[in-house]
Amino acid sequence: MVSSGALDVTSPVAERDAITVDSVSKWFPSADGEPLHVLHDINLKVAEHSILAILGASGCGKSTLLNIISGILKPDRGRVCINGVVSEQFKDWRSVSYMFQEDRLLPWRTALRNVEFALEAASMPKAERRRKAQQALELVGLSGFEDAFPYQLSGGMRSRVALARSLVLEPCILLMDEPFSRLDAQTRSLMHTELLRIHGLKKMTIVFVTHDVEESVVLADSVVVMAPRPGRVRERVAIDIRRPRDATTPEVTRYIQRLRALI
Amino acid sequence: MPTVLEQQIHAPAPPRKWRVDLVVQRLALVGTIIGIWWIASLQMPHYILPGPLRVWQSLRTISANGDLWHNLAITLGRVAAGFLLATAIGLPLGIVLGANKRLGEFFEPIIPVMNTISSAIWAIFAIIWFGVSNATTIFVVFMTAMPLIITNVWQGTRTVNADFIELAHTLRMPHHKVMWKIYLPTILPYFFSGARLAFGFGWRVSLVAETLGSSSGVGYRLRQAADLIQTDQVFAWTITLVVMMAALEMGALRPLENHLFRWKREAESF
Ligand SMILES: Nc1ncnc2c1ncn2[C@@H]1O[C@H](COP(=O)(O)OP(=O)(O)OP(=O)(O)O)[C@@H](O)[C@H]1O
Ligand SMILES: [Mg+2]
Repeated sequence: MVSSGALDVTSPVAERDAITVDSVSKWFPSADGEPLHVLHDINLKVAEHSILAILGASGCGKSTLLNIISGILKPDRGRVCINGVVSEQFKDWRSVSYMFQEDRLLPWRTALRNVEFALEAASMPKAERRRKAQQALELVGLSGFEDAFPYQLSGGMRSRVALARSLVLEPCILLMDEPFSRLDAQTRSLMHTELLRIHGLKKMTIVFVTHDVEESVVLADSVVVMAPRPGRVRERVAIDIRRPRDATTPEVTRYIQRLRALI
Repeated sequence: MPTVLEQQIHAPAPPRKWRVDLVVQRLALVGTIIGIWWIASLQMPHYILPGPLRVWQSLRTISANGDLWHNLAITLGRVAAGFLLATAIGLPLGIVLGANKRLGEFFEPIIPVMNTISSAIWAIFAIIWFGVSNATTIFVVFMTAMPLIITNVWQGTRTVNADFIELAHTLRMPHHKVMWKIYLPTILPYFFSGARLAFGFGWRVSLVAETLGSSSGVGYRLRQAADLIQTDQVFAWTITLVVMMAALEMGALRPLENHLFRWKREAESF
């Protein structure tokens, strides 16, 4: 590319941000005719390799925001850039994984075949696909359950299959909507450790939504607190604690209290 | 890891239990029917109601001289041809009509209209168009089976989960793969129940078509036997048909369905 010199002010910034949300607003049509204002002027930058948590009350538009970042929903105002490219022009969507709030497992596929599904969009030899899916299931602690159908799994196990499905692509950007909300406390903290370990290896950028303040402090580099009706960013708090973080230490508790006060 | 759960999952699904009392019950039922039949046949001339023994003998005759297998194969071949044709056209058409709202809305009234047309009317048209030939029976089966398959597939297409489509969309899955990996598995149970209905109907109307416009097949032989007042043969053909449909249902369709839809949780029976 030919450099346009000093005038090209966007590119150096864009290179360091994996995700830029730029003045995004969104309305939904509603039954009474008055459009529902769901997101209002959201601005967000997520640095490459960092972990961002989004906290906020139910219905304040967190899932909608992730849908917009993932490109499946168009904002009514503003724009989203992925790796510095406006999302309409962004091509490499397979490097962006989205773990939905619901597990969305295909009921007619076994756990293993559900994980494989993510790899089937592109072409890949069957044996390799199987091996990768197997590894991903192992990663979320579900080896032995490859041949179980979704109806045979508990809610927590199902969401772990969904997690495996979004990890199997080895994404550069991982969007997760309440990924651990259906797990018991013990499994959840196991998954936290696991996620941080994978993050240490792959260094993907992670944006996740949670209702759990403690989870956001333990995992994230920064936490965005959203306010409802219409959804907007109330505050962004950087978590300056070295990892691994222990939820019982006073500095973590301080952050938790501060965030609780903001919600 | 929870090993108890693991065992439950890997244990093979419990097969439907062979209940001895159930077998005895069924045998008793068959025995009762044959008994009543036999007693009734004693009071009547054999050309009105032949007894079980007479029918059995007639069954042995037509199976020994090959008459039975020959005509059964002909009829089955025609039903299969009409049914496969109906599937080949009905399945894609149902998917297209279900996936495309505009087209669906436009063609919606056709199906109920087609369903009201009696198979006898199709048979008469078939004779006008194709004369006494294989095509007559195949056409009648086709015209009866196709609306049933289209209707069911169409309904199935409407139940495709938008969440799954969205998931495929985030994976940037190409359209033909979405069709193959999400639409088809969703539709399959609907298609299956439609196909089953269509096959059953097709089989029944094939006999009607054969009595009117054919010089071979079970329907033709039934009518011949009736014309010659060989009532015992009419009974023999009828019993053959019933046994064959039951064997097909229990030997092929039921196991196939159980295998294909093993991912469905069975409702706990109370
Ligand atoms: N497709 C849609 N059409 C109309 N309204 C919608 C749609 N999706 C979401 N909404 C509305 O937008 C608002 C925000 O929804 P969203 O799912 O983003 O909330 P959320 O913050 O994720 O909530 P939760 O924490 O409960 O998941 C809600 O009021 C919801 O009713
Ligand atoms: Mg949500």
